[in-house]
Amino acid sequence: MKTALKNILAGAALPALLAGTAFAQDYGDFGGYTLRVKLIGGAQYEPLYATISEWEAATGARVEILSRKNHFELDREIKQDIAAGTLNWCVGSNHTSFAPQYGNIYADLNELIAPEVLAAFTPLLLEHSTVDGRLVQLPRHSDVSNLFYIKSLFEDAENQAAFAAEYGYDLSPPETWDQVRDQALFFANPPDFFGTQFVGKDEAITGRFYERLVSNGGAMFDADWNPTFNSAEGVAALQWFVDLYNAGAVPVGVPNYLWDDTGLGFASGTVALNLDWGGWSAFFNDPDNSAIAGDVGVLRAPMGDAGVRTGWSGSHSFSITTSCDNTAAAASFVTFLTDHDRQMIEARMGILPTRTAVWDDALAEFSASGNDFMVEVFSTFRTSMAEDAFTPPLIAEWIEVSNALWPRLQAAMVGDMSVQEALDAAAEEAREIMEEAGYL
Amino acid sequence: MIRILRTKRQALTPFLLLTPALLTMLFVVAVPLIFSFYTSMTGYRLTRPETIENFVWFRNYLRLFENSDFWAAFLRTIIFLAIALNVEFLLGLGIALLINKITWGQRTLRTIMMFPMMFSPILVGFQFKFIFNDNIGILNNALQSLGLSTQAIPWLVDANLAMFSIIFAEVWMSTSVFAILLLAGLFAMPRDPIEAARVDGCNSWQVFRHITLPFLMPFAFIAMTIRSLDVARAYDIVAVMTGGGPAGRTELLWTLIARVGYDNARMGQANAMAYVSTILSIAFTYYFYTKLVAARRYMGGAQ
Amino acid sequence: MSTIASRAQVRRRIRAVGLWLTTFLLMIIICLPGLWVVLSAFRPNREILAKPPIWVPEQLTLNNFGKIFGFGAEQVGIPVLAYFTNSMIIAMTSTVIALIIGVGGGYAFARFRFRFKNGLFLGLMLFRAVPGIALSLPIFILWSRLGLIDAQLGLIIVYVSLNVPFTIWLIDGFFRQIPISLSEAAQVDGCTRWQAFWRIEFPLARSGIAAAGVFAFLTSWNEYALASQLTRTTDSKTLPVGLMDFTAQFTIDWAGMSAMAVIIIVPALILTFLVQKHLISGLTFGGVKG
Repeated sequence: MKTALKNILAGAALPALLAGTAFAQDYGDFGGYTLRVKLIGGAQYEPLYATISEWEAATGARVEILSRKNHFELDREIKQDIAAGTLNWCVGSNHTSFAPQYGNIYADLNELIAPEVLAAFTPLLLEHSTVDGRLVQLPRHSDVSNLFYIKSLFEDAENQAAFAAEYGYDLSPPETWDQVRDQALFFANPPDFFGTQFVGKDEAITGRFYERLVSNGGAMFDADWNPTFNSAEGVAALQWFVDLYNAGAVPVGVPNYLWDDTGLGFASGTVALNLDWGGWSAFFNDPDNSAIAGDVGVLRAPMGDAGVRTGWSGSHSFSITTSCDNTAAAASFVTFLTDHDRQMIEARMGILPTRTAVWDDALAEFSASGNDFMVEVFSTFRTSMAEDAFTPPLIAEWIEVSNALWPRLQAAMVGDMSVQEALDAAAEEAREIMEEAGYL
Repeated sequence: MIRILRTKRQALTPFLLLTPALLTMLFVVAVPLIFSFYTSMTGYRLTRPETIENFVWFRNYLRLFENSDFWAAFLRTIIFLAIALNVEFLLGLGIALLINKITWGQRTLRTIMMFPMMFSPILVGFQFKFIFNDNIGILNNALQSLGLSTQAIPWLVDANLAMFSIIFAEVWMSTSVFAILLLAGLFAMPRDPIEAARVDGCNSWQVFRHITLPFLMPFAFIAMTIRSLDVARAYDIVAVMTGGGPAGRTELLWTLIARVGYDNARMGQANAMAYVSTILSIAFTYYFYTKLVAARRYMGGAQ
Repeated sequence: MSTIASRAQVRRRIRAVGLWLTTFLLMIIICLPGLWVVLSAFRPNREILAKPPIWVPEQLTLNNFGKIFGFGAEQVGIPVLAYFTNSMIIAMTSTVIALIIGVGGGYAFARFRFRFKNGLFLGLMLFRAVPGIALSLPIFILWSRLGLIDAQLGLIIVYVSLNVPFTIWLIDGFFRQIPISLSEAAQVDGCTRWQAFWRIEFPLARSGIAAAGVFAFLTSWNEYALASQLTRTTDSKTLPVGLMDFTAQFTIDWAGMSAMAVIIIVPALILTFLVQKHLISGLTFGGVKG
C-alpha cells in the first residue's frame, strides 16, 4: 500500500516537471512583477510550493516568499506587521479560525476572483471563509475530525462477549459519544493501553469542548452574544471529558496534549479510539510511522445528546491584502494555488480538498490504485465535510474567549474546580471580553 | 597603592572605553523600553494600530492589582527562580570541584560537562516534552520497564510534578553555566594560601569553607546575576513543555505576558505586566549584585 | 620503605582512576537526556516513539539527515545550509564585537576609579534585566523602520547588546584577579598604560575572555525567541528557528528535529572543545597571583 502511494507521488511529480503548460485557466501576464507572499511552512505544506515556478513561468511574474513559518508564528508575525504598518506584501496564508482577528487587512475576494472559479469550491467552505459578509480567504484545503479506531479490537470475539456482558449491548464501532465513553472505559488498561484520548490545551481543547457542546444541542453564545456555554449541555459536554480523565481511560498527561501527542499516541498502537483530523490518515496507515498500519478503521464522528455529530472544522486558506499593489496578480496566484491540479497534489497525500471535483478525482485515483483505506477515508470525510462541518463563531474575540475558557476546562479535568464552577468562571470572563469588545 | 591616574585625559578614558557598551544598550534596550512604557499606559491592541492613541494612564497597572492569575504567576516565577538558581549553583559547585580534582583527561570531561549548554532552549523544551510524556515518554517507560512504577506518572500535569519538570529542564540546561564559571574560578585560585592552611593543619573541609568558597563567591554571584537576567530564556522551555498549563499550574510571568500580548493581542496590558516583571528581575539582579560587591570586599579584591 | 611508598603510589593511582571513572559516569548520566536526542537523530520515528519502548536500536539510519538535505523523494528539503551560514555569521560577528566592547568595558570597571562607576555598572545590569518579551515588539517596530527585519545585521546588533553586559562582568572579574602591581611595575619600567595592558594584563585575562567568548557564542548560536520574531526567510533565519520547520500545525517530526539538533550541536561542541585549550591557560595564571 505504501509503495502504491509512493508511485502515485512520483507519478504526480513527473508530469509537473515536464509540463509548465496547459492550464485549464489563463493565469494572465504579469511580466516583471514581483509578488511578495507569506506562506505557512512545514512538511505537509511544502510540496504545493514546489509548483510555484509553474505559475512564474506562465505569467512572467516572480514570487518572493517573505516568510515561511508554522501557523502560530505566522499569526504573530502578521500581528506585528499590522502593528508596525509593514503590510507591504500581497498574499498570506490564513486559517478560518484566525481570519476574523485580522480586521480588514484582507480584501474581499468576491471582487477579485471570478464567480465561475468560486463556484467550483464547496459552498459550505466559502461560507466558512466569509467574515462580516466579506470573503477574506480562499480555502486551500480543509479539515474536520472523524473517529479512527483499531479494527482488530472490535473484531475480537472475546472482547465482543465481555463487552456485551458488561454493558448490555453489542460491541461495534460507536455511533454516539456515550458509546465512545463505554468502549473507552472497557478497553482502557492504564498505563499500557487507553480507551481514547483528547487534546487538552490551547484552542485545541476549546474546539473539542465546543463541538461536544454543539452536538449536545448547546451553543457558545446566544443570539445577543451572551456566553451560554455554561448551560446544562455545556456541563454534560465537559463532564464527558472529566469522567474519562478521572477513570484513567485516557492518558494521564492529556491536559498537556496537543495534536502531535494524540496523533503519535494513536500511531503507537496504545489507544483504541481516536477522534482526529483527516490529515493524519495516511500517517496512521503507513508502516514506517505507525504500529497499527493496516488495522485502522474510520467512521463519521459520533453524535452527542442532541443527535448532532461533532464537526469542528477549519480550512487553511490564502488571503490577499487590501494594501496589495497588484491585486490581479495576487488573485491569479491564489487561484493557481487552489486550482484543480494543485489540490490534487495535496489530496494524494490525504489532505482534504476544497473543490468539489477534486473529491471525485482523488477518490477515483485511490480506488484505481487499490488503496482501499484511502477510499474509505475520503468517502467518510467527504460526507462529514459536507454535512457535519461547522466553524467556531467567526468573531475577532474567538481566540481571546478561547484563552479564557481552556485553562478552566483543564481546571475541571485535574480537579481544581467542579465542572459547573469552571464553566461559570469562564463564562464570566468571556462576558467581560465580549462587553469590552462592544457586543454586550 | 600608587595613584597614577590624575590627568584630565586619563579621567576620560573609562568613559571612552564604556561608550560602545552604553550605546548598544541605549539603542537596543532603552529606546524600546520607553516605547513599551508608553504603550503600557494605553489600551493598545496589536491588531488595531489606532488604539495606541487610546491613553488610559495607569488603568492597565490598576487592573493588575486585582488580577489574581497575574500574582499567582508572579509568585510562581519567584519560586521557579529561587529553586532553579540554588540547585544550579549547588550542582555546578559539586561538578566543578569534582572535575577540578581530575588531572588526566580533564579537557574531555569539561567538554562533556558543557554538553547541555550546546542545546538551544527551544530544543531543551521539545526534548523534555518528549521525555516527560506520560504515555510514550522514555522516563515513564524506563520506570515501568525497571518495575519502579506500575502507572503512568503525569509529569507534566500534576501540580508539583509539572513545576518539578520545568525546573528540571531549566536546571539541566543551565547547571553547566555555573559549573564552568566556578571551575574557571578554581583555576584562577592561588595555591599558596591553601598550602599554607594545610601546613597550619586545616582539614579539607576547613580549607574549602574558609579559603576556596570565599574565593569562589564572586564567581558564583556573577553566575547568579547572569543567570537571573538570562533566566527569561526559560520562556522557550516552558512554552514548549507545558505552555503554562495545565490549569495555570506552570504559568510563569513570561508565558502569561506572551499570551496576553500576542495571542490576545492586548499589548498595552501585556507591557504593564512586563514592567512589573522587570521590577522582579531588577530585584533579583540587585540582590546578587550587592552580594557580589560584598564578596569582593571580603576577599579584599580591587575595588 | 620502598614497598610502602610504591603501595601508596598504586593506591593513589587507583583512586585517581576511580575518581575519573566516577566523574565520567556522572557526566554521562547528566548528559543522558541530550544523548537520547542524538540517538533519536539516527532512528526512525516509529522506533523512537514505540510502546513498549525499544531500548536497543534495531535500525540505525541516516534517513533523517537525508530528508533534511532533500535527498530522496520523501520530503522537500529544509534549507539547512542557509540556516547554518546565517547562524555562523551572526553568532561569530556578534561574539567578536561583544568581546571587543566587553574587554574595553571590563577593563574600565576593573582598573579605573570614576564618577558614576557603580551607577553605570548597575545600570548596565538593570538594562539587561528587562525580559526579552517586553522588548520584542518595540524592537520589532524600530527594526522594521530601520530595515533591519530579516537581516543578519539586525540580529547581530541585538545579540551584541544581549552579550555585552555579560562579557563586561565576566572580564571585569578576571581583570580584578590580576594584581594591579604587575601593570604598575611595567609602567615604572617605561611601558605606556596601553602597552602594559596589551602585553601583561590582556594575556593574563585570556582565559576569562575565552570563557566570555564561549558564552556569547552559545547564547547567540542558540537564541530562539527574538530570532523567531526578527527573521523571516533564508536571508537571516538561524538554525534554532529552522527547528520549527519540523513542526506543523498537527505534527512534530521528532526524528527530523533530532537530526537538525545534531547539526546545531556538533559545531558548538567542536568550537567549545577547541577553546578549552585557552581556558587551560587560566591554570598557569592562577599561580601568578600568590
